[in-house]
Amino acid sequence: MEYFVQLSAIVWKDLLLEVRSRERIAAMGAFAVLAGVLFNFSIDTTAVRPQDVAAGLIWMTLVFGGLLGVGRTFHIESQDGAMQGILMSPAPKDAVFLAKVIANFVLLYAISLLVLGVFALFFGVDVRNNLGWVSLILGLGSLGFVAVATLFAAISTGTSMAETLLPILVFPLLVPMVVFGAGATGRLMAGRPFSEVEGNVRMLGAFAFAAVAAGAVLFRYVVEE
Amino acid sequence: MEAVLEARGLGRDYGPVVAVRSVDLTLGEGEFLTVFGPNGAGKTSLLGMLGGAMRPTRGSVSIRGETVSLSDGAWRRRVGMLSHRGFLYARLTAVENLRFYGRLFGLEDLERRIPERLARVGLADRSHFQVRQLSNGMRQRLALARALLHDPDVVLLDEPYTGLDPRAASVLRGVLTELRDGRRTVVMVTHNLKEGLELATRVAIQVSGRFAWEGVADAVDREDFERHYHQVVEDPS
Repeated sequence: MEYFVQLSAIVWKDLLLEVRSRERIAAMGAFAVLAGVLFNFSIDTTAVRPQDVAAGLIWMTLVFGGLLGVGRTFHIESQDGAMQGILMSPAPKDAVFLAKVIANFVLLYAISLLVLGVFALFFGVDVRNNLGWVSLILGLGSLGFVAVATLFAAISTGTSMAETLLPILVFPLLVPMVVFGAGATGRLMAGRPFSEVEGNVRMLGAFAFAAVAAGAVLFRYVVEE
Repeated sequence: MEAVLEARGLGRDYGPVVAVRSVDLTLGEGEFLTVFGPNGAGKTSLLGMLGGAMRPTRGSVSIRGETVSLSDGAWRRRVGMLSHRGFLYARLTAVENLRFYGRLFGLEDLERRIPERLARVGLADRSHFQVRQLSNGMRQRLALARALLHDPDVVLLDEPYTGLDPRAASVLRGVLTELRDGRRTVVMVTHNLKEGLELATRVAIQVSGRFAWEGVADAVDREDFERHYHQVVEDPS
């Protein structure tokens, strides 16, 4: 029981700070909208159908935009040494990690739905028939992404090259997520049935689960000096 | 007397630099150790290791017989630390900061405990101010309330008087005096000879990472201590 109280305290604190500062959500949201606008102008619609490339661009926007926000997840802790305060408390390290993942997931999932809306608007993508499944796929992708990015943000925060280091560490690990996520999203957007992408979704779920579990185990080795 | 806080051969290196050499320490209930020393003497590193915030390069620390490490342990509930930094969130109010740490420590009576602690450090009327709206002295007092919120057995204080105006220093002195209740073990590191001696039961002077001099506070000639301190710092051998 105490575990969940500690976990929820960190989730509450992270989300409350984000509501008050709006630093990360504003950066990610602005990036998502601007990326959608720029991608819209960058595509020659006489050569390719926007709907055919939308899925890949949605996932790229999610990955780059997500890194803007999730990469700063430990900056809010570093201002007055608060991370040390958390680490010196009896809260288990895996609870700290899971709380960070949950708070980041809430933010990124909201952004992923915004990205979907932006691309539906600019690329003429119609996902009304498969909205539930696409939302599930974006949710699983967001969860896997935040698990990997949160762990590596803990590693890179405090280094002199944090902003550069994080994408270099994270992007190679996200290849499976992008492959399965973009593949499934593209087919559903094309109106194909869910049964055709079920395998992709299972793999995406497995990736998210593995990333969360590995992060929960490894986090203590990252934050313990 | 039962040992509450024990350190054996405690040392810490930063690459080739030896910050803390080999500190042995045994403190019981009710003891208040003040560690004086010049900048770079290794006082903050010593405190970090005693509180489990920093891994020792050699030696060990235990609190009531339980070995202190960076990993989780019941001993964490017994330690309260006031560092150079307050561990506070600028956009949370004083109450929200304390409630957050109270929940991390699994405290159940926060509705009673938080107003009580805020009143004790003179911040009852600022309880719903965000930390960024508080002065440095108020933040320091709030950080002290945070450090003592869970009623720790061992209190570690790193230069607690730094940046405080006379009123804030007076409030802090009152709270620290209350810590001498015979139940707690306190280690304070400071440059401030007057404040440091006032509350101490034991005194040490740390130079170049080791205790160059130790004594019982009652036996210290307070008028003469400053001269003695400078002698020790200049010639620690």
